[in-house]
Amino acid sequence: MKKEINFAIYAIKKNIQSSAELRTSFWMNVFGMMINNISFVILWVFLIQTVGSIGGWSEADIFGLQGFVALVFGIVYSIGSGLREMPQLISGGRFDQFLISPKNLLTRIATSSFGASAVGDVFFGIICIVIYLFMISATLSQIGMTFLLIIIALITFTGVTIAIQSINFFFTDPEAVTRSVFELFFTPSLFHGGAFQGTTRFVFTFLVPSLLIGTLPVEAITQTSFPKMLLLLVLSIFWFMLSLWFFKKAVRKYESANFMTFGS
Amino acid sequence: MKPKIIEVKNLSKTFSFSVKKHGSSFFRNLVSPEIKTVSAVDDISFEVEEGERIAFIGPNGAGKSTTIKMLTGILFPTKGKISVLGFDPTTDRKALAYKIGTVFGQRSQLFPNLPITDSFEFFGVMYDLSKKEIASRTAELIEQFDLASFKDQPVRKLSLGQRMRAEIAVSLIHKPRIIFLDEPTIGLDVVAKKSLRELLIKINKEEKTTIFLTSHDVGDIESLCDRTIIINHGTVVRDMPTDELSKSFVHEKYLDITLEAKPKNFPELPQGIKYVQKDSNKITLAVDQRVLGVSDALQKILPYFSVSDIDVYNVDLETVIREMYEATSISK
Repeated sequence: MKKEINFAIYAIKKNIQSSAELRTSFWMNVFGMMINNISFVILWVFLIQTVGSIGGWSEADIFGLQGFVALVFGIVYSIGSGLREMPQLISGGRFDQFLISPKNLLTRIATSSFGASAVGDVFFGIICIVIYLFMISATLSQIGMTFLLIIIALITFTGVTIAIQSINFFFTDPEAVTRSVFELFFTPSLFHGGAFQGTTRFVFTFLVPSLLIGTLPVEAITQTSFPKMLLLLVLSIFWFMLSLWFFKKAVRKYESANFMTFGS
Repeated sequence: MKPKIIEVKNLSKTFSFSVKKHGSSFFRNLVSPEIKTVSAVDDISFEVEEGERIAFIGPNGAGKSTTIKMLTGILFPTKGKISVLGFDPTTDRKALAYKIGTVFGQRSQLFPNLPITDSFEFFGVMYDLSKKEIASRTAELIEQFDLASFKDQPVRKLSLGQRMRAEIAVSLIHKPRIIFLDEPTIGLDVVAKKSLRELLIKINKEEKTTIFLTSHDVGDIESLCDRTIIINHGTVVRDMPTDELSKSFVHEKYLDITLEAKPKNFPELPQGIKYVQKDSNKITLAVDQRVLGVSDALQKILPYFSVSDIDVYNVDLETVIREMYEATSISK
């Protein structure tokens, strides 16, 4: 286990080093993504100022939501960018190189590349969460909950991403399918949390786990709700275990390919 | 007798895919397509001893890469048993990975933006080598593979020949007992090919590394491998020492005859002799030695032509292999 963790950290460092070799592209990716996200949050805040509170959500909650989703997305898709590249790795046959590695398959795939643009999401997410905590005048227990809920949301997002990317093994041309399924999961997570009530809240919590990575963590912090945090913990473990089981089954479907490729 | 390090018994692999049903509507094809199954590897068995240099060859689509991928744990067999160094690749994939090296000619496992020394370090860490071990092994391989002059250049700036040498060197960082090479000389010039073959023979001799290679290049097979397994349509069609390959299966001798003057016509030849090539000043004949010997053939054809020079030679390995591919394709 220690060797696996050491190797994962080493691989991440090496990927950052490799990515940073192309400095201009690296910094353009980082700042480009931050500007993109800022425009998005401005839109939501302007909406709330115009139409007022929806479902009890304030401007602060919007900052919290955008912060959580951007941070979780940014962490997973920067240091674990290999997960995002699974459709190309599988359809082009480059997945072979991970199967001949002596390390844990998922760790090896996730840490096989670094997503520079997602670093912009990480910076943006941290800034938004700090603004959120400042705006709600967060207590110490709310700050503690924020740290724990970031970890819980990370586990959920990683699990759901693995499960979605595992679909790639079942199709010949998987990219469009996985992109659609990912959008189905991810896009609602960025929407105004107050808009999800009744049936839609149930569907996007238990069937499509979009609300688990932003909306529900923000509500748990704002309301200082420990039962809500516990529910999120249970669901994150469920999604993670389910994704590992599904991935293991899916890998057996891998058929490789012989396309000419270059690059690690 | 050397220990057997690869044992393959009744190995098969099938692939399934959907095909369009002729005459069916788009919607029907979308909802319930016809599923077709193809057999990529069909009930093959063979064994490899430690230290052997094996050429595993066959025409495109014969099942070579599929077999290598099953031996290395990339693909799961549909049927049959594999043991590589005592490990079952389907269940002991990670443990096996510590003992084998793999090089796929059409894919790179190096960091494109970093120098090759970074890739040595990366793979060293991946195989749990200590910093000291990585440093000494890297120095050894850089010297062995003559990489010093370009070791600090980013991989993307290297020539194909330099990159392939680096690929093989990196795959040896953990001193694997077997190295699987899938078309390692693809796209290389003659000089780079020769250098790569010499290096592979060197590591086979010095480090006792078993070499299991697929290639379409006859030069790789002839100069590198002591045993050749030919596979076609997923089945093993020949398994024998490489130097016996041309002797055993082709019964023809070739005669290059340089003519003093252009013949008026090309006469019909006696039974057992046929034209391979007809030029105004040179003809090439094939003599079937099952029908008549070379000296008999010469006696029979000399009256027909005004000859200035004769060259008698065996068929080359490429022709032997091509004839075997064609023969097994026809028999199927």
